[in-house]
Amino acid sequence: MFAYIVKRLLGAIPTLLFLVVAAFFMMHMAPGGPFTSERKLPPEVLANIEAQYGLDQPLWKQLWDYVTGIVLHFDFGPSFRYKDRDVNDIIAQGFPISLTYGTLSFIVATLIGVSLGIAAAIRHNSWIDYFAVSLGIVAQALPNFIMGPILILTFTLWLGWLPGGGWNGGQWQYLIMPVIALSTSYMGNIARLTRSSMLEVLNSNFIRTARAKGLPARSVIWRHAMKPTLLPVISYLGPVFVYVLTGSVFVDLYFSTGGLGQSYVNSALTRDYAVLLGVTILYGALTIFVNLLTDLAYAWFDPKMRY
Amino acid sequence: MAVLTVDNLKVSFDTPDGPVSAVKGTSFHIEAGECLGIVGESGSGKSQTFMAAMGLLPSNGRASGSVRLDGHEILNLPVGKLNDVRGADVGMIFQDPLTALTPHLRVGEQMAEVLKVHRGMTGSAARRLCLDWLERVRIPAASRRLRQFPHELSGGMRQRVMIAQAMLCEPRLLIADEPTTALDVTVQAEVLDLIAGLQKEHGTAVALITHDMGVVARMCDRLEVMQYGEVVESGSVGKIFGAADHAYTRRLLDAMPRIDAGDAPAPMPAETETLLDVDDLRVEFPIRPESGFFRKPIPLKAVNGVSFSLARGETLGIVGESGCGKSTLARAVLRLIEPTDGNVSWLGTPLTDLDKRAMKKERKDLQIVFQDPLASLDPRMTIAASIAEPLKTYRPDMTARERRAAVAEMMERVGLDPDMQNRYPHEMSGGQNQRVGIARAMINRPKLIICDEAVSALDVSIQAQIVKLLKDLQAEFGMSMLFISHDLSVVREISNRIMVLYLGRIVEMGDGDMICATPRHPYTQSLISAVPIPDPDLERSRERIRIPGELPSPLDLRAALRFLPSKLAAGDEDYVPRLDQVAPGHWVAEHDPLDRILAQAPAQDAL
Repeated sequence: MFAYIVKRLLGAIPTLLFLVVAAFFMMHMAPGGPFTSERKLPPEVLANIEAQYGLDQPLWKQLWDYVTGIVLHFDFGPSFRYKDRDVNDIIAQGFPISLTYGTLSFIVATLIGVSLGIAAAIRHNSWIDYFAVSLGIVAQALPNFIMGPILILTFTLWLGWLPGGGWNGGQWQYLIMPVIALSTSYMGNIARLTRSSMLEVLNSNFIRTARAKGLPARSVIWRHAMKPTLLPVISYLGPVFVYVLTGSVFVDLYFSTGGLGQSYVNSALTRDYAVLLGVTILYGALTIFVNLLTDLAYAWFDPKMRY
Repeated sequence: MAVLTVDNLKVSFDTPDGPVSAVKGTSFHIEAGECLGIVGESGSGKSQTFMAAMGLLPSNGRASGSVRLDGHEILNLPVGKLNDVRGADVGMIFQDPLTALTPHLRVGEQMAEVLKVHRGMTGSAARRLCLDWLERVRIPAASRRLRQFPHELSGGMRQRVMIAQAMLCEPRLLIADEPTTALDVTVQAEVLDLIAGLQKEHGTAVALITHDMGVVARMCDRLEVMQYGEVVESGSVGKIFGAADHAYTRRLLDAMPRIDAGDAPAPMPAETETLLDVDDLRVEFPIRPESGFFRKPIPLKAVNGVSFSLARGETLGIVGESGCGKSTLARAVLRLIEPTDGNVSWLGTPLTDLDKRAMKKERKDLQIVFQDPLASLDPRMTIAASIAEPLKTYRPDMTARERRAAVAEMMERVGLDPDMQNRYPHEMSGGQNQRVGIARAMINRPKLIICDEAVSALDVSIQAQIVKLLKDLQAEFGMSMLFISHDLSVVREISNRIMVLYLGRIVEMGDGDMICATPRHPYTQSLISAVPIPDPDLERSRERIRIPGELPSPLDLRAALRFLPSKLAAGDEDYVPRLDQVAPGHWVAEHDPLDRILAQAPAQDAL
């Protein structure tokens, strides 16, 4: 097990390096640069600025300096757009916000989704089942960029219960709508997945055995059916966790939360190479880490998995 | 007094097309301590009868009538009440031991919860009782098993765990639903012995649900024969086997192939031309050991130096237990799996040297029929399209009309109505689908057909029809066959010669009837003595040869010399047993005398 974790973490290094190199070149292939703008700068000025940021160097040299900066000093370089701010600052400011409402959304989506799915499967073809299935379908049809405006319309403009945006240090009034907006569609998916998985497990031979043994229903469900039911759900949850952190650009826009999603998109639009690369690496590393956690969770749920 | 009385039990299932009736008013009873056989083919309602009685029907199932356990009505009791009975007064074991245990709970945990629920027993007392029962069902290294997960045990061992678990509370009735159907014959024999022993020792009544008349002959006192949800005949085993009244019972008995009697094909005349010549064929798979940082794969020798030849029009039966390499051997002959070493020569051409394109040309004459008829047909192709596919590949000159005619002719030939040509596999029965598989294999009139467990998944009466079809086709078209099966009785019925495989090596090969009547190798003897014969008097007086231990793993190097303990004792672990010709055409692998083999300690740790 320990050997397996070490192996996986070592394997992450070439993956990340590949990610950096690919992202780096793709970005430089895109037309324009951080300092191209409507109003043409005098050539000497432009050359000066570019020299200051090292953009006059050959590409491979720029890549080399960038990578060594990260490896040796954990320095992701300065932002090309915002003076006096470097990438580490921007991430340090935005990421905790994304992480907070992302994690909350993830927990809400998982808890409600799994509970709904299980309730629906246990009471198959009852009103709970129909309710859960319809709710799941509706929720799936409401991604965060639809939920955002609906929530603001309802709770801010009509009812006036909640502030329409801002972060304010993560106070609960400011968290509610971002979390609901982000979690709804995932919750629907999780509920649907859990329900069908549980239905399949309840039809399996070992559940028949458990019933034939005379075990009470709750023991059949929780002790025997639960773990196999959650196996497919877990493999879905891993990517979802990364999505809720990366896919939050709309939430940042609608609710002005100031999370990393907005910086990410802005940096791509303005060719802010350093910020874009820094955030890409962060998300890449996060994906690798979450995948590792998913696989370890698998081993706990399924004894046939051994690493 | 009767333990279980079933009275006018009806079971139906709600479907979108309205209710479908599965059991149509059956009545029978089981006396204390007796073994009642419930016999019938798939769809006869034999399992559903007992599922309904124990409240285990799927949610769309409805049951009516009466089921009394010791005089108390139990049919349609609320689950809470029923749970006092299930697992305590009535134990159940099921057909497929591989999926019947909860995969993520240790054997000890699953067993102990029965004691906790019914006896309020926990901790070391419960553990001791579980251990005690594992030992009573003769599981080797029982205390270690308690901590193992089901997937770490073999199929036979899992079925023993199921039995031990069902017996923990010493139930008055044990319901065994096809308990040995998925198991190898020697394992089947041991599991049946075990159930018979428990019945005798504890006075447990046994309801044995099976399709196998041989198993009934060995085990049962009385018999209920079911067809289409009704009991068509009941009575003592002696009476029914002696003179069955109902036509269906007679048909079931007649369809059952026997290892000791019945027609078997004669040996081929010596001068027949050789079609296929296999020389020292080997197939190895690299297997990664479970632990260690730097894991070096070790070779699993699935086929370990097999040589044989096959004459034109001859059928060679290949038998052996799971893991003996019989399917791998067949696939390696066709190069569906690439052999690691050795030669396959087809009409003098070495197949093993051909490149892909040349091999494809030869495949026209080399066809295979697989075990699972439904899974081996493309679900999105009509059966006519499946049958016609080889024609498209090998007879591109044919017009669509000619192809249709050829398909219709072949369908008729294998006993399918040509009107069914636009059906899809899921709309047909298992037997019909297997006919499609055979038609597809036969459409180009190949010279060799490999049947890989082609009749194993079918009901006995269907199995008999398919075997007859294959024999008829062979008489008409003269193709050769390799007939692979774990069921020796079926193999005997169709094969001129039989090859017995053990862990990738031939242990005995010779004329079919001779192998079955006078086997020479101890392994063959043990296999044949384990095959149940559908004749109660004969079956109960036979003596079984039991080789100690379970079927060992092909990764266990010492297991290869299980029949030569003297070489093992001498430390010669790499010794390859010689194949001796004991009579013309009868080859037997070198082995120690039977007493010496039986005297060795049981093979430890069968994986």
